[in-house]
This record gives sequence, C-alpha cells and structure tokens, in this order.
Amino acid sequence: MVSLNDVSGSLLHKPTDSAHSVGTRTDSQYKPLTTFNLSHQRSYQQQYGDMYFLRLTKIKPAVEEVAAAAWERTVIGDETAKQVERALDVRQGELCWVVGTVYMNLQNKPNILEDVSKDRWISKPDPVHKYFKEDETEEIMLEDDSGRVRLVGDILHKIGLATGCIMAVMGTENSNGEFEVIDVKFPDLPPQPERWALSGQPGTQGNGVKKVKDEDQEMSGQTGGKRKKVAIISGLAFSGSDASYALELELLLEFLLGEVLSPDAQSELSEISRLIVAGNSISGSDVKPVTEEENKNKKYGYDASAYNAVPSQLFDEFLAEILASIPVTLMPGPQDPANSSFPQQPIHPAMFPNAREYTNPPGSKEPGWLDIVTNPWEGEIDGWRALGTGGQNVDDVYKYVNSEDRLGMMEAMCRWRCCAPTAPDTLWSYPFQDDDPFVLKDCPHLYFVGCQPEFGTKVVSGPAGQSVRLITVPSFSATKEIVLVDTETLEVTKVKITAA
Amino acid sequence: MDEYKKFLADRLLSDEQPITYRLLSRALGIHVNTAKEMLYDYHTYQNGIKAESIHATYVVYGTKTQNNTAEDGDVEMSSSMPEHEPLSETVPTTTLALIRQENLEAALAEYQEVVSIHVYSLAPGPQRDVSLLYDVAKSLAEYTSKEDPLTAGEKYGTIRNLNVRRRDRQARPKPGFSTTSQPAKAQPPQAQPIVPVKSEPAATKKPSPFEVAAAAAKLKKQPSSQTPSSSETPTSSATKPTPALKRGGSGGIMQSFAKAKPPKPKPEPKKEEDTEMALSDDGEADDEDIAKEKAEYKDSDAVRKSRKQREEELRRVMEDDDEEEKSEEEPADEEMEEAPEPEPEPEEEPKEKEEEPAETTVTTTNGRRRGRRKVMKKERVMDEQGYLVTIQKPGWESFSEDEAPPPKKPAIGSSNSSTPASSAGKAKKPTGKGAQGNIMSFFAKKS
Repeated sequence: MVSLNDVSGSLLHKPTDSAHSVGTRTDSQYKPLTTFNLSHQRSYQQQYGDMYFLRLTKIKPAVEEVAAAAWERTVIGDETAKQVERALDVRQGELCWVVGTVYMNLQNKPNILEDVSKDRWISKPDPVHKYFKEDETEEIMLEDDSGRVRLVGDILHKIGLATGCIMAVMGTENSNGEFEVIDVKFPDLPPQPERWALSGQPGTQGNGVKKVKDEDQEMSGQTGGKRKKVAIISGLAFSGSDASYALELELLLEFLLGEVLSPDAQSELSEISRLIVAGNSISGSDVKPVTEEENKNKKYGYDASAYNAVPSQLFDEFLAEILASIPVTLMPGPQDPANSSFPQQPIHPAMFPNAREYTNPPGSKEPGWLDIVTNPWEGEIDGWRALGTGGQNVDDVYKYVNSEDRLGMMEAMCRWRCCAPTAPDTLWSYPFQDDDPFVLKDCPHLYFVGCQPEFGTKVVSGPAGQSVRLITVPSFSATKEIVLVDTETLEVTKVKITAA
Repeated sequence: MDEYKKFLADRLLSDEQPITYRLLSRALGIHVNTAKEMLYDYHTYQNGIKAESIHATYVVYGTKTQNNTAEDGDVEMSSSMPEHEPLSETVPTTTLALIRQENLEAALAEYQEVVSIHVYSLAPGPQRDVSLLYDVAKSLAEYTSKEDPLTAGEKYGTIRNLNVRRRDRQARPKPGFSTTSQPAKAQPPQAQPIVPVKSEPAATKKPSPFEVAAAAAKLKKQPSSQTPSSSETPTSSATKPTPALKRGGSGGIMQSFAKAKPPKPKPEPKKEEDTEMALSDDGEADDEDIAKEKAEYKDSDAVRKSRKQREEELRRVMEDDDEEEKSEEEPADEEMEEAPEPEPEPEEEPKEKEEEPAETTVTTTNGRRRGRRKVMKKERVMDEQGYLVTIQKPGWESFSEDEAPPPKKPAIGSSNSSTPASSAGKAKKPTGKGAQGNIMSFFAKKS
C-alpha cells in the first residue's frame, strides 16, 4: 500500500529553478563473435549428412569420457559393460554402451521422404504445435555413420530427447533387435571460459581505464557499486495495422532514453548499458496469407503493391531515436526480413535508412554502435560470454518433448552441447560442410532465447563448476516485459510496462 | 502568468488537444523533468480555477505487492529439481504503468513501493482511451525532425552516451549548414545532368558542403559511365550514332565467324555476307557494350525491325544449310586431298587423286564441253614392306561441264574432276557442284 505522500521520486510539485541534470549512460564492454556468420559466397550444394557426422565427431569424445567414468567396470548380472565403437557392433545379449546421434520418429513430424513419395512440394509445411503425440509410441533411434539401432526402455520417456542430440546409452540388445536402455549419458556442459577471456578486463590495460576502475571502487565503497545492466527484449513486432501496444512501445522508447520517471529512477536507467533485441522486431501478422484465388490472378504469386513498409519504418525510427543514447545489438527472429534458415544472417542495414548511420561501414573491425548480428549470436558482454537466439531452436525442440518447460529445454541443449540439435532435421539450417557451429565449444555464462511465450530464468551448473544463467525472453508485444540483466552478478530483473 | 501556462492553455483549452511531457519539453525546449513539473503545476492551477477541467495521466514506477518475494538462492534451487519447484525463478519485477487520475488511488494501493511518479500527460477531458496518446507521441517528430538527436538530447534530458559512434560521412549537418549544402549539391562537378535518383541519397545524408561535393563527385563518376543506361532521354540521341559505328566494328567479328563456317569458301558471296553481318550485329552488341545496347533498344521499332530481319535471315540461312549439306562434304574432301598426310587406309586399294591439269583436249557440243585432259594423279600403294607410298603419275581423265570456261584455278579444276576409280563418295561430286551452283544462285537472288 502506497499513498502519494510516500513516493520518494515524485515530480508532483511546482517547477523548481534548479536545473535538472542529464544522466550519462554507463559504457558497454562488448565484443561480438562471428561464430554464426556465413560466407557471402556460400554454396547450398552440399549434403546435410556432413553436419551429423561433424557433430558426432566433435561431441563424441566428451560423451565417451563421461560414459567411461560412469560405466567403467559396471557389472550387471555377471556381465561387465564395455564400450562398442559403432552402433552396428552391438551384439545381442551383450552388456555394452555405445555413442550416437538420437533420431526420433514422431507421428506429426514432417518427413521429407514422405513428402517426396507423395509428391508434395509445398514450400512451407503447415505449422505443427507438437510433433509429439501422447497416445502414440514414438520411435527413438540411435545412429552413427555405421547404422542405427532402435532404443527402448522406460528411461527414455523420463528424459526429454530431440533429434540430433548426441548421447551414450548403456544396455543390451534384446531378441527383437532393439536396444534396451538401462542408462544414458550426455556430454554435459562444455568448459566455461573465464570472465573477460576475450575482451580483457578493463583496468588491466592502460592507465586511463584503470583510473575509471579505481573510481568505481571508490564509489562502491560509498554507494554499494555502480551497477551495470543489459536490457534484453524480443518481439517488438512493430506493426502497420495493430496499434494495440503502440503506446507501450512509446513508453519503452522513453524508458530506454531515460526521459520518463523521476531523477533518481532516471539515474537507475542510465545503468542500462546496452539493448539486445532478440528477434521479431517487425510484425509478421501484417503479411496476409495469399489465398489461392488471389494467387491465380498474379503472375508470380506476389503483389508488390501489397508490401507494407510501415512496420520497418516504425522500427527504423525507433532504433534511430534510441541509438543516440544506447547501443543496440539486433538479432533477427523468425518474422524478421532475414533468411529463414538457421543461422539467420544479419538483417540488411538498408532496411534502416535512419538507424544505419550508427552501423559500422563494411569491413571495419570495431563492433557497430548498432550491431546487426546473426541469430544465434555469440559474444562477450561486460566480460561474460553470452549466447542468444531468436527462439527457433527452443520452439523446435519444444515440439519434440511432452513438456512446457522451456528453460529445461535450454538446459538440455547446454548439456547436449548443441544449441540447435534439431537442425537440420526439422529446424531449417544451412548445410554446413566443414564445421558445425551449433556445437557449443565454450559454455556461455548467459544464454537467452527470445520470442518465448513467457519470461523465465534459472541458473544451471555443470560438473566443472560452470554456471549458466538461462533466460527465456518473452515477446514484448504480448507481455510488455523487458528483461534486465545485471552484468556484475548476472541477476535478472524485469520491467513491465502497462498503459491502461 | 508564466509562458508555459499560456502554451498549455492554448493547447488544452483552445485547441482541445492532449499534451505529453515530452511534447511540452520539445515545444518549449526545456528539460523533460521540468516539463513534468509544469504539467503538474498547470493541472493544479487550472483545476483550482475550474474543477475537473483538465485531466491528467500519471506514470507510476515501482514494485507491485507480491505474495512471495524474489529468492536469491538460485544455484541451490537448480542443482536438485524437486517436482514441486517452479520451473523458473521469480525475479523482482518493476512495473511502469500509465494511470489515469481517476484510477490513481486504487492503482497506488497495489504497489508495495513506488520509486517515482509524475504527470505523463494532460488532456482537456476524461481520457477513455490512453492509447490516443500514441498519436500525440507521433506528432513529436514535427518538433524534433530538424534536430540532431545527439546534441538535442542533452537539452531535453535524454541520457547521453559519450561513446556513441556514427558514420561520419552521413553525419547530419547542424541546421545552419543545411542551407549551404543545398547549392553545393546543385553545382555538379561535371556538366552531366544529375540523375535524380542518384542525387537523392546525397540529399538525405546531408553531409557538410565539402563532403557533399566529394560525395557528389564520387557519385557522378559512376553515372557518367553508365548514363546511357540509367537516363534515356538526354542521351539517347547521343548514342544513336553508335550503332553505325558498331556495325563496322562488329563486321570483323562476323567475318571471323563466317570463316569458321566451311560452306562459304567462295569469294563471290561476300556481298551477301556483308549484309548479313550488318543485320546480325545487333546481337553482337551484347558482347560489346551493354550501355550502347540498352540505348539501342530504346528506339525499339528499329530494333524490332532489324531483329525480325535478322531472324528471317537466320532462318533462311538455316534452310540453306540443309541444302548445302551435300556441298559441305566437298570442301571437306578437298581438304583431305590436300592434306600432306593422308589417312592411313587399312585396305591396299589405291586412292587416286589428281592435281594440276597439264593438258586438255576440249570439244564443245550443244553448249556442253567435253574432253580429256591430262592430270597428275596421286596413287597410293603399299610397298613390299607394308608402308603406304604415294606416287604421282600423269594420267588422262575425261570431263564434261557446263558452258563455263575451262577452269583456270587449280582448286576448281580439281573439284570437278573425277577418276574412273572414284568411289561412291566421288560420284557425288557432280551433284555437289550442282548444289554449289544453287547456293550461288541463291546468294545472287538475295542481292
């Protein structure tokens, strides 16, 4: 219960003569990585099989290590478990363990072979809420380059699995030729780099920077430390037709600029050093699906006059305005004007005639003030390794499992060491030939996923002391929520904007 | 009465338009916080004069009362996952709410702590729909469009950022400069007409005058080479002569092309070839200069016409080729004859060919010349060791031909000679010659 008199930061008084101060925003220590950038001269001729091979070869040693530690000299009955190299080497009745890639066959899962055999050539499959179906027995297989074995066992239903993750299974082959799984192991979290591993801690190099740090420390003695935050947002969904959350977007703009609120709160806002936009900045609902009849009249099934430039113009204006005060990292999402397959490449700056002033000229080494990046994206924010996606990877894994726990799926992906396991099966992906960048080499400190139905966060930890902050960032257009991450403690707060 | 009160009275009471603190700040050029205070002051002042005449909307920022406060022991929580535990941690949530004055008391009751509160907007009547304020927010652009956000932000109290980086070449000019940059753009470094599309980016970028000139020069450079393609009207007349030039130039290409074709070894049809070349050079232009070609397409009528002609020409040539097929074999034969290394034949059968007629005895009857002439015949035999040996020996052959005078050129003479031992291939030769005559007549007809 608060009454008007209790409010500390009230501007409900007569104008004072004293000049109002102008806050200065804390600077952002920021170093993006180009892990998911594709070459401009990329070819799409390759086969997808290489990705599975690469993923298995990269992750297999880690799983083998975990499995060997757990199952070495395990005796069940009279038998000692031993490792077999290939899925096809599994012998009936022998207790053994083997490493391979999970493949799941689910009732509602799109199947390319079926599409080909039935002569279906639609460009975009109908959206499916879940591939998983309760009543139906799914088929889970483990495969490697030699072949595949079918897995059975209760344990498989207790853990969430998705096509493409690498795991080790222990058990025996039964008389049906199925592998009865007794236990499974995953590679678990990859090694985590130290903080400031890439950018170097400010203060360790150069006197000028050190001074600043000393000041910081002094201040921390007095006021408990100047905190730094990063704002993460997704699903701004600027729209040409739906104005139901336009005022909230306006308030968000004022919030980020630090114009709204009273002086105390404004100085708090100046701690937000960076805005990360995790996908779906432009609404996809403005694009009306073309009906069959309309389509017939148009020559190429596309009516250029139907293009509505308003959403991107609004977003451009929004960006151009906040960029004067706050640097922005912009990731594309499923509805943004970028390629639809993973990894999505940066939205072309030509989409932002005003905001592009803040981008870097091509070829420059420094990250741009407006940094238009890939999805997924990896980088270092104030020394913390961060990994973010626009949400497609979680949305796709979500369809495989009988669960609503999206944070759990994020955790599983970290433990699988693969941030997009279902690519290239059900998540569209570039056919990588030499490297599978979705395999996590380094464990992030901060892993956020945009465009999710609701906010959520938790911290997971690994066997070697790793600790990852997981965040599901909700769509602003639906929840009007902004996520703020403290870049000293990685603690999360959120701000909800309501205008009613 | 203060100036801002007049402004607000105008806006709210006369124009009956709502106003936000941002708009007031932009309109009067003051700090947003001062604007917020002014709104409050005016609200109390005006409502003091006449109750309920002005309605306010407040911004309330703070923490709402929650049942359970945020927990910080997250590491422990996640390490073991008992089933009753929520999937996500609860985190402190601050709410920024826009509240109408009627609801203010009730709304404040929901809060556990309010960090700040101020007037967001004033409106002349009760605001049923706060989303109308969005339109007010949009009209802000009228006030700010001329300002550089980086410098103007300080005046209004936007959080400034000392590290902000913008591309220099696109930096917005200070308002004073914009007038001077206009003439800079107007005088192009070259006499070339500015293509409007090209000059527009320069206008939107608004660099300083020097940069404009430089940028314009840069921009001009490209168009200057491409002008014919990008702008048709001023240059189409200039490019018109070029096709004629090309015709001559591309003839060479055509000639080399023609040379590659065996069926036209005769010097006579040269005229026809020339016309053909001239007609087909439209196509050749593709290789040469795209700009020229494009300009040429502009006078589409002429092009279409010549195209049609060319197509027809091509078709005729193709038909012709069919007819010529037989004659084509002949030159090929000739080549074989002249080849110093004849193809090795598995059979011993000598292949006789003739060269340079030495003597002739000719009788002419009914316009046909018949006779015998002495020729050197090549004879190939296999000697005892199995080698093929070609020997030349003189011999006589009989011939008959049309009224044409006895051929003086050895090439022609050889073409229409036939030996008694000639095989089926040789027998064709007269027909071949006839066919050649037909071609000649064909070409003659055309011209």
